[in-house]
Amino acid sequence: MSASMWLAVVIAALGTLALRLLPLLWMRRRLHRSTNDGEGSNTLPPWLRLLGPLMIAALFGVSLIPQRQDSVGWCATLVGIGATLIVWRRTRTLGWPVIVGVATFGLVVVAVRIAG
Amino acid sequence: MTDNTPVHRQPPAWLTGLREALPLLGGYVPVAVSFGLVATQAGFSTTEVAAISTLIYAGASQFLFVGMAAAGAPLWLTVAMTLLINIRHLVYAPNLAPWLTRSRWWPWLMHGLTDQIFALAHTRLPQIAPERRLGWFSGAAGLAWLSWIAGSVLGAVAGEWLTRRWPLLGEVMPFALPALFLVLLAPHFTSLRWSLALGISMAAALVLALGGFANVSIPLAAAAGALGFYAIGNRPGGDGEAAS
Repeated sequence: MSASMWLAVVIAALGTLALRLLPLLWMRRRLHRSTNDGEGSNTLPPWLRLLGPLMIAALFGVSLIPQRQDSVGWCATLVGIGATLIVWRRTRTLGWPVIVGVATFGLVVVAVRIAG
Repeated sequence: MTDNTPVHRQPPAWLTGLREALPLLGGYVPVAVSFGLVATQAGFSTTEVAAISTLIYAGASQFLFVGMAAAGAPLWLTVAMTLLINIRHLVYAPNLAPWLTRSRWWPWLMHGLTDQIFALAHTRLPQIAPERRLGWFSGAAGLAWLSWIAGSVLGAVAGEWLTRRWPLLGEVMPFALPALFLVLLAPHFTSLRWSLALGISMAAALVLALGGFANVSIPLAAAAGALGFYAIGNRPGGDGEAAS
């Protein structure tokens, strides 16, 4: 890698860090000015409070696209999502729904391949 | 999932964070292996791959970076496009700020604030005792960062062999990400208004990504969901619940 390429890597890295870091400094200053204790989401502007869950929803939408975009991939995704949701409703935990979801997804993929 | 256990019975906060970030590895490692493979095929050495993953640490933009660099694009344009893709990160830290303690380490830990860590922290930090939050975030973000670097190096060294040997693993493991996002998202379906707004965001992101606009799909879909949220609230008889 040439010196200019290394420089590009460093600038991209610093820029990415700035995109993650500077808004925190801005919000901390804002929180410090607007409240004494600074605890809780009520100190956030309403539009920002709204964007948090909506960004996660968008991440979920993008991540739904399976590696193999055929009927097997989509079917496994649908069944895997159903299994994840059922386990989440029963356990309300973080780990088990994910483990069962991945296992179900894998089982559907393998079962269809064996059947096919 | 609230931490109600007495402090003396709890494992160290960093260990809790590390354990709760484990599902992320299913999504991180296969993508990191792919990155390592793509980058070496584009002419980058293993050391350079490790440096890019350590320093930039942003999935989609790293693929774009090595792709544009290998194609001979001007470096200023390569850097500009890399940063443009990451512009969505602007709203992450302010959303977490009310739950961050006064420690001076927090700004530096923002290097680890990826999409997935944001989603996890957005749900978990409010449920964790303030004195445990720094440790929890360090454990979760640290594991994700190290797994990304290790996966990239593995991909650079043995990516081709791995994808030939276990093709099914690369197909199945990434499902951990939608499963995790779903678990993080489910508690937010508290009203018709929220459900519709979240549904709009999900559907818009899916359609945009399928249409080849994956890089801009997340901020655009979130904006569409926000529009839906306010449109529903302004309709006569609409659920007037505020953003919570």
